[in-house]
Amino acid sequence: MSSATTLSTRSGHASSQEMLHLVLRIGLLPILMAIVIIGTSLLSPYFLGWMNVVNILRMASFLAIIACGQALVIIAGGFDLSVGAVVALASVVTAKAMAAASAAIGGPEIVAIAIGIAAGLGSGIAVGLFNGLCVSMLKVSGFVVTLGTMSAAAGIGLLLTNGIPVYGMPNSFVQAIGRSQFLGFPLAIYIALAVILAMVFVQRRTLFGRYVYAIGGNQEAAVVSGVSIRPHLVGTYVVSGGLAALVGILLTALVGSGQASLGGDAMMLQSIAAAVIGGVSLRGGIGRVEVVAVAALFLTILGNALNLLHIDSRIQPIFLGLIMVLAVALDEFSRRRTARV
Amino acid sequence: MTAAAISQTTPPQTAEPLLVLSGVTKEFPGVLALDGVDLDVRAGELHVLFGENGAGKSTLINVISGTFPPTSGTFRFAGEEMQGLTPSAARAVGISPVFQEFSLVPSLTVEENLFLGREKSAAGVLDASGMRRRARELIAELGFDLDPKARVDRLDRAHQQMAEIAKALLGNVRLLILDEPTASLTERETGRLFELIAKLKSDGVGIIYVSHRMREIRALADRVTVLRDGRHIKTLDAATVTDGELVELMTGRKIDVLFPAITHKPAETAIAVENLSTADGLVKGVDFFARAGEITGIAGLVGCGKSELVRAIYGIAPIASGTVTLRGEPLHRLDPRTSLRSGIAYFPANRGVEGLALSRPIRENVSMAALDLDRYQRRGIIRRAAERALIGPIMETLKLRPPNIERPVGNLSGGNRQKVMLGRAMARDLDIFLFDEPSVGIDVGAKVEVYEFIKRLVEQGAAVVVVSSELPEVLALSNRLYVMHHGRIAALLEGPAKTEQNVLSSFFEEEAREKAA
Amino acid sequence: MSDANLTATGKAPGLEGKAGGERPSARASGLSFGNTWLRKLALPIALVALLGGFALADDRILTSYNLLNIAQQASYLALFAMAQMVVILTRGFDLSLGPTVSMVSVGAALAMMGMGGGEANGLVVVAAAILAGFALAVACGLFNGVVVALLGVSPLVATLGSMNIAIGVATTISDGRPVQGVPATFSQTFYTGSILGLPIAIVIAIVVGGALAFVLSRTVFGRSLYIIGTNPQAAAVAGIPVKRLLVLAYILCSALAALGALMMTARTGSGEPNLGGTLSLQSIAAAVVGGTSLAGGRGGVATAVLGALFITILSNGMNLTRIDGYVQMIVLGAIVILGVVLDRLRLDTR
Repeated sequence: MSSATTLSTRSGHASSQEMLHLVLRIGLLPILMAIVIIGTSLLSPYFLGWMNVVNILRMASFLAIIACGQALVIIAGGFDLSVGAVVALASVVTAKAMAAASAAIGGPEIVAIAIGIAAGLGSGIAVGLFNGLCVSMLKVSGFVVTLGTMSAAAGIGLLLTNGIPVYGMPNSFVQAIGRSQFLGFPLAIYIALAVILAMVFVQRRTLFGRYVYAIGGNQEAAVVSGVSIRPHLVGTYVVSGGLAALVGILLTALVGSGQASLGGDAMMLQSIAAAVIGGVSLRGGIGRVEVVAVAALFLTILGNALNLLHIDSRIQPIFLGLIMVLAVALDEFSRRRTARV
Repeated sequence: MTAAAISQTTPPQTAEPLLVLSGVTKEFPGVLALDGVDLDVRAGELHVLFGENGAGKSTLINVISGTFPPTSGTFRFAGEEMQGLTPSAARAVGISPVFQEFSLVPSLTVEENLFLGREKSAAGVLDASGMRRRARELIAELGFDLDPKARVDRLDRAHQQMAEIAKALLGNVRLLILDEPTASLTERETGRLFELIAKLKSDGVGIIYVSHRMREIRALADRVTVLRDGRHIKTLDAATVTDGELVELMTGRKIDVLFPAITHKPAETAIAVENLSTADGLVKGVDFFARAGEITGIAGLVGCGKSELVRAIYGIAPIASGTVTLRGEPLHRLDPRTSLRSGIAYFPANRGVEGLALSRPIRENVSMAALDLDRYQRRGIIRRAAERALIGPIMETLKLRPPNIERPVGNLSGGNRQKVMLGRAMARDLDIFLFDEPSVGIDVGAKVEVYEFIKRLVEQGAAVVVVSSELPEVLALSNRLYVMHHGRIAALLEGPAKTEQNVLSSFFEEEAREKAA
Repeated sequence: MSDANLTATGKAPGLEGKAGGERPSARASGLSFGNTWLRKLALPIALVALLGGFALADDRILTSYNLLNIAQQASYLALFAMAQMVVILTRGFDLSLGPTVSMVSVGAALAMMGMGGGEANGLVVVAAAILAGFALAVACGLFNGVVVALLGVSPLVATLGSMNIAIGVATTISDGRPVQGVPATFSQTFYTGSILGLPIAIVIAIVVGGALAFVLSRTVFGRSLYIIGTNPQAAAVAGIPVKRLLVLAYILCSALAALGALMMTARTGSGEPNLGGTLSLQSIAAAVVGGTSLAGGRGGVATAVLGALFITILSNGMNLTRIDGYVQMIVLGAIVILGVVLDRLRLDTR
């Protein structure tokens, strides 16, 4: 493709491309974010209102938590398409378990709540474990395995509820986790911050994080260096499943019922979009969760801005699709530009 | 070097050598890679493994370093039976391999790579400062010019090699395995490595050294073990063996003339490049030309840009600047299809990766680069009978055995695979041939056939370019020899000036020039 | 992939060039010969077993009415599986296939409405539908192909992106509601009509399948797709115009999907913005279960059709034996995973 242009003009061509690319590479996310924020706040007075800001942060928290798990899986060279379905599954399982426990025990609500949360997290971790084991033991592509578990998990969620919301959770669960605020911000934001900080620590300072980078960067080198692959691969899927389940629980508390329609394909797509826009390389080995979290915030702001500007919600997927493709194309472009060793 | 960097335990005073392999066999599905190999390495000894590509050297060092277990046979190290050895267990007992295919993760830093698999940590949390300190100490001890914080994919090949060696020497080393460690090092760096090896030997470290460079074997070896076809042929004392003896043992026959006598009749310039630089920066401002009727050689270390030069001419390595002229006409478009149509063929070094579609039949692999010709298709529909009738005789003349062109290429030996590549060049009319490491991975018999093929091409008036890391090969085949170093042409040697000594010294001169600049 | 790895690390082919090396490999090929037969027969046997099993559970399964029904049902999925197979051959896949179907469905229905619907000349209306449908599909395929081949984006992200775009387009142009008023001529052409007593859907699937089989096995384009899928770098070195052919493969995929979309639109009698639903997943499942390898370069019309038949029979049987739709989702998921595990095993024993 590049050889189609004449050879002599190439060097001048390349440097201007390099400039463009440099600007885009370093500044894509902040620049886009600034444009969206400034533009929208000029057009809609409501945008920077306290309620809206809190709302954005809350929705961004959910996405950021899932995207952190997704990023970890992608850095290790995999893919997790099942996160959206896990959100739904965890929501249903949490609500069912909590309702059943509170009906059966009747005692202090905290016990029922704990049982429900444990069951919800457990369901997500179980799906993650299954994904991880299939990928690492059977050596099949993570993409297809999670495509399968996505369908299966969504099916189980629907089967458990018949598509009807599950009520009967203790009121204090909804009050304490879904609606409580601290210093004016909902609990979900603090949980997301904690998750992000923990993941930053895991990535930078722990063996697990280091090995995830190594496995994604060059699995063969990791093997001959004595890194055991299987537990770490499984670990990434378990973390991803667990974090998706956490979001399922938080969403359940927010809406007050267990619903098989939560999460879904949209959330899965957005988590991949956030990871990819946040600089996680689909080739594995590269990416930082803090940037991914910023990308999640950006996507949420974008969606919110489009809503406020009365842009048809049906057109919104088009923006998401284009931005995602653009981000990866830029990444690919910069990879080809840098010298190969 | 301090004691910390190497073995802290004194070699065992038992009579048993450090490493004893007996009857080691390794089978892969359909291939017997090692067949009852015996090998012993003593503490403080440098033991050379000698053999052709595919003789089983790589498999053997992979078994010793725990990459995969042997199918049968016993493996004792430091007096203990090694069973179920893993790479990390091997490192823990002091077996430290330096692979040719680097075991480095490109997206991590040098320091992160040094400690990969044995990080200093407490409860899963990394001790970053401790590792940094240790990495700096080690690099300083080794005298390498290496930044521990640099990302490996930003280093050139020589520095990656240093990082790989440093990685092997971190920790308690009792047996060091070096697989062609000098392939990408300059004279000076090689000298530094040899000093290091001498030091390690005096500290009682056993060393397995894979190389087929006679000079290195002469300079370093205590004993030499020759492998052929996965079997142990003989172990010899390096002090008494002759070069001829070694080559004969390696090849299993007396090769009178490995390299054919080629009559070069240089005619007009077929292809020329001016001030060519590639986008990846591995070729910098190169002027080069090749004439019809002669072989133009390009020599240089691994990673010096010699492959990239021919790849750029063929159109698979993007060009940053410069011009390519074909038979006097400047080329405005460089891509494989255009190159083939203008009569240029390229034979990649790595046939498995860039040459062949392994699960497809030989017939399809041979006709692959010629499907645009009317001989093979009419309006996009393949003329299958014609294809069979054309490809069959081509493979016949190349002595494909067995002569069945419907077998998948994946089932073929290296020599036969190379014949498929040669057949591809005969499937259409071409007159400029670019060979990238033509004899890698094939046995002597097949090498002779490849050289004969090249000889026929040249004597029929074709322009042939041979890129090779095997110095004897390019020296013998080429009429004019370019020497590349760090992406530049270091020398052009012709006639009597075309000697091994001149090639090696031109690296040095180029190095000095770079220093001065 | 595994081939390349083995060669790169020089482990297995350590015996390259050894005279006796031909012997063990001959043994290996004998082994794979057995496997090929096993592989080829496994799915037909499974199909018969499946039919037999369901027939025991419910005697409506083996009626000629139901078998024809299954064949008709399967023709749609077979078309989508063939579409998917074309890009899977090149190591890609198309997640936007389902939304493309939706987009084509509403696009074609709107075009027919625009031409006057039932009042206008039937042929003109049908031509408008075909034109609009294929134009949208080709645009989508072109987008996928350009993004994958020229920009170097992984097929996953590229088609995930176009999937979003197609969903957006489909719901926007239809306002999220079904587009009613598909004229009878259109239904006649793509659904109710029959040729030689066979429903038109089956006829279309057979004709398209035959044509595609010819293209894949007998043309330079088809041959090149297999080579690209087996070893893209080698294809590029051999002067095969990899990028151009990849773009064409994605366009062909979308065009086949568009044909299926027109047929489904004729069946439902309206342009449906959610018609594609889970078709991306189902078509990948069908192709993979049938034996198309995600590693590229392996598969064909037969694998796609067999896979489509298998999944159709399974869901037909589950419907007739009144197995819950949600359970069917779980079964579909399990089958996808099973399919890749089998694919993996086949590659390993090769």
